Amino acid sequence: MHEFSLALEVVDLAQREAERNQAETILEISIEVGDLSGVESDAFESALELVVKDSVLHKSIIVITRVAGKGKCIACDLEFEMHQRLDTCPQCRSFPSIISGGEEFRVVSIVVE
Amino acid sequence: MCDTCGCSETDDSQNHHNHHHPKKLINLNVSILSENNRLAAINRKSFEEHNILSLNLVSSPGSGKTTILEKTIEALIPSRKIFVIEGDQQTLLDADRIEKAGAPAIQINTGSGCHLDAKMVGNAMQKLNTESGSILFIENVGNLVCPAMFDLGEFKRVVVISVTEGEDKPLKYPYMFKSSHLCLINKSDLLPYVDFDVEKAISYARSINPGLEFIVLSAKSGEGMQLWFDWLLRQG
Ligand SMILES: Nc1nc2c(ncn2[C@@H]2O[C@H](COP(=O)(O)OP(=O)(O)OP(=O)(O)O)[C@@H](O)[C@H]2O)c(=O)[nH]1
Ligand SMILES: [Mg+2]
Ligand SMILES: [Zn+2]
Repeated sequence: MHEFSLALEVVDLAQREAERNQAETILEISIEVGDLSGVESDAFESALELVVKDSVLHKSIIVITRVAGKGKCIACDLEFEMHQRLDTCPQCRSFPSIISGGEEFRVVSIVVE
Repeated sequence: MCDTCGCSETDDSQNHHNHHHPKKLINLNVSILSENNRLAAINRKSFEEHNILSLNLVSSPGSGKTTILEKTIEALIPSRKIFVIEGDQQTLLDADRIEKAGAPAIQINTGSGCHLDAKMVGNAMQKLNTESGSILFIENVGNLVCPAMFDLGEFKRVVVISVTEGEDKPLKYPYMFKSSHLCLINKSDLLPYVDFDVEKAISYARSINPGLEFIVLSAKSGEGMQLWFDWLLRQG
């Protein structure tokens, strides 16, 4: 559900950037979705495919890059890959960890013409 | 000028668009929520300028947000002015309940949308004639997932859970608990009848958000409600 409104935010953002750059079309849009961003990446991608029709993005190649979660254990300082916010440290089982990556949810770049 | 596309090059080839429109890569690195965040910042500034205490109430459906607001209105009016923005997918029922309790309310129906956003709140504020020194409660759509990402410009976010929901709620919906300032644990009158471990719920929530405050209360029996009113008055 909210992936749908997030996809609409992308279309609005792309529309504003196209206007600002006096571009006719956006050929490519590159998006990063972190594994710990709270966005379900597959649902977001499906929603995006639906909402780009009739928008400035209708011809664009959409590149979605997932960013793995990264955490640092507060007890033993180990840096490890996190798949969920609730993952415990694989070395000492401590929780919580300081999240240092994977919260991204952003448009990285567009290619306009 | 090229007649087909309006670009400044002359189209001297037979084959249009042999000439090239330059492709341009634009690095943005902007949050997809940047527009919502911008509008939320405008709301926040306006709340501050008008001395309005704004609180965003989030919970699963049926945790007791509207009931808590009804009781709060009955207890605090007339010494404190209260205004309410009600978000629901459908119906005006909650706004009617609030008006009956004695506070002006505006209902926003989000239709298929599952959360309020900063723009909706900004628009609703144009219609509510809020007064300086008042409290603005924003009751979000009952949903612990979607409203988490959308800043409304509120001063603080209050997450409500009820003891009938199971104490693992904070672990299942970490984003909401991480982004909240206060957690109301409602329906404490039902504690004797359900297996809800208050301490466990609090420790789960603290593991996600160490700074989270808690109040255990019952909108029905009134137990703990004074702690909530005191918390409100401490916010200004
Ligand atoms: N036993 C008990 N029931 C409560 C309490 N607070 C609310 N309820 C009941 O819980 C049900 C839902 O309450 P609402 O206040 O409508 O909940 P809500 O969070 O506003 O619901 P939505 O807006 O639909 O998400 C109602 O039947 C209330 O009477 C409480 O403290 N104890
Ligand atoms: Mg309600
Ligand atoms: Zn560790």
